[in-house]
Amino acid sequence: MEPDFNEILSLDDVKGVMVLSGEGRVLFERMIDPAFDRVKTKSKDWGPLLTALEGVREADFLLDNLRIYMRQSAGGYILVLMGHFAPIAMVRLNCDIVLPALKRKHGSKGLGRFFKLGK
Amino acid sequence: MIKNVLIVDDDQEMLLSLKEGLEKYDETFSVIIAGDGRVAMDKLRMNPVSLVVTDLEMPRMNGFSLLAHIMEHYPDIPVIIVTAYSTPQMEKQARSGGAVGYIEKPFMIEELARKIVSTLRKESEGGTLHGISSGTFLQLIEMEEKTCTIRVFDRKSDKKGVLFFRNGELLDARMNGISGVEAAYEVFSWEEVNLSIQNTCQKTDKIINRDLQGILLEAMRRKDEAGIDPEAVDELEEDLLSEPEALKKPEVESPINAMRNRLENELGQRSGVDDIYQDGNWDGLIRQVQAVGDFFSAGPFRVGYVDRRSGADLILIPGDPAPTVVSLHSRGPKDRILQILMDQETLS
Repeated sequence: MEPDFNEILSLDDVKGVMVLSGEGRVLFERMIDPAFDRVKTKSKDWGPLLTALEGVREADFLLDNLRIYMRQSAGGYILVLMGHFAPIAMVRLNCDIVLPALKRKHGSKGLGRFFKLGK
Repeated sequence: MIKNVLIVDDDQEMLLSLKEGLEKYDETFSVIIAGDGRVAMDKLRMNPVSLVVTDLEMPRMNGFSLLAHIMEHYPDIPVIIVTAYSTPQMEKQARSGGAVGYIEKPFMIEELARKIVSTLRKESEGGTLHGISSGTFLQLIEMEEKTCTIRVFDRKSDKKGVLFFRNGELLDARMNGISGVEAAYEVFSWEEVNLSIQNTCQKTDKIINRDLQGILLEAMRRKDEAGIDPEAVDELEEDLLSEPEALKKPEVESPINAMRNRLENELGQRSGVDDIYQDGNWDGLIRQVQAVGDFFSAGPFRVGYVDRRSGADLILIPGDPAPTVVSLHSRGPKDRILQILMDQETLS
């Protein structure tokens, strides 16, 4: 699983990647920014965010100290956390590459069945 | 504008757990509950409801009867059916009866929440306006011969009403248990309202047979008789007697024009901007993004972009009383626009 995200994680100013299931569970996370490594992402209820995103295929949110790129995939979302100097076009391109590869590898229908579910 | 969702089920345990489970979406909609179809009819009469979620098997009045009642009396209110005893025939019957959604029990609460949110979003597909006078805006609807359903929220009294327009003609109105011209008089007397516009009108019969100006004047006369702000009647009469061009544009356009000009200055005619407007329908998403920002100690949410798969791509800028939405052509330079607006928001 993890190698799929290595390209994204190696881009300048990318701080981490998460994968959420359709119900808002954290299926995967890898933070390379030490400040985010201590954040307990599994303690957060991500469901309301995903509900509010209903119908959204791709999103890009700019906050003062963080940029969050989200990409819908197989009922869930990939989140890329980055700073404002990250090359967003490359992030987008690498997500384009990762998504079909994930689907091929796992056969499809719901990321949840292929990830070890976090508690 | 928080919308009301009426959930109807004779299983009290189910009803309460749904109400509790959907509480976390209270920034987008609030839940009203009813134990059967009869109670639901009363709730519909007394409350402005945007969506009904109903079980099928219930005593006294079942879901199919309730669906038929809603289609007859409240055709603008979408209905989602939930049932534990589903058959293909039942689903077919529900959909042909007018239901917009059909969910089999058991279901994940998030599944229902998403269906509710996506259905409610259609209610304001034509945009929203805040803090304007209902009379002047509704005259514009008449002039442009629009067909739409307009939901009106009076900021002073917290009352809500619905107006049905077809080709610019006011067909019907509904407000707190009253309908027809009496409801229109009440809604038209509200001075500072929020409006959401749906680009369809399910009503076909013309219940109101009076022109818009006559209704506006009568509404103000009644308000005058009630002893509230008599000067407003004179002001309205002056407005109505003047040329249509005198109709004031909603005040919200000023900062919007400033944003449009800034983008055109930076990007020229190739800015890709299709429209700029305020839309409270995105409040829920913006609050959720800010919550994520708070979780990561990332500071305020300044600007965002969403690609909805269908429809225009949108840039969202949080704001009060409602977020500003920049609608883009499919090939609009969204990253550049995000950067321009981010710089502007950070400086302001």
